[in-house]
Amino acid sequence: MFEIAVVDGGIVKLTGRLDASQADRAQLVFRGLARPLTVDFSDLDYISSAGIGVIIEAYKRITDQGHSFRLVRLNPRIRAVFGYAGLDKVIPIE
Amino acid sequence: MVERKFSRAIHSIEHIFEFVSGFMAANGLSQENSFYADLVIEELFTNMVKYSKESTQDIAVRLERDGDNLIVTLRDFDVDAFDVTRAGDANVHRPIAERRRGGLGLHLVRQMVDRIDYRYEDRTSTITVTRKLER
Repeated sequence: MFEIAVVDGGIVKLTGRLDASQADRAQLVFRGLARPLTVDFSDLDYISSAGIGVIIEAYKRITDQGHSFRLVRLNPRIRAVFGYAGLDKVIPIE
Repeated sequence: MVERKFSRAIHSIEHIFEFVSGFMAANGLSQENSFYADLVIEELFTNMVKYSKESTQDIAVRLERDGDNLIVTLRDFDVDAFDVTRAGDANVHRPIAERRRGGLGLHLVRQMVDRIDYRYEDRTSTITVTRKLER
């Protein structure tokens, strides 16, 4: 199960499991956004490289437009995956 | 030891996750172990689906507990060789703008397992990964 919701225009809430079968759906939502974004991971249980690819693309596009982009409330396992991917020092994570 | 074959399609990963979850529950293993097993298998399985298009055969996934280790084996039938132990790695230390697409999945696998082996025989690729189980 995976859900993606845009709350108040600037918060993207991810829920469930962002795997290769769900990455296209998440990508479509992110591509429709052009403003400062906070991505709320508090209810995301799982992410793979396909999901991380979606986050990287969104980060590049949003910051290229001069907006801020940050990830919040990652569980320790997902935070570790971002660390393995070398992104914990690139993308703001709070 | 349990083994099951899954159709060569991205949507199969949902069924693989159920298979892994059942194995973990049957062996009294924690969700922590499921998370890493799911991730490793998803990365290896999706690579097989994406890059071994010459085959139409199902892909076999085997799970085995050996003491404190989890051993995961994927077998891909009627395919050309692709040695994951020799494949290029993602440029995770480069600035994000300079990173090329691809390679991140295998990079994550290498970070998360203690051992990875590859064998190619009779047009079958066999990848075996070993990871120490979390308590």
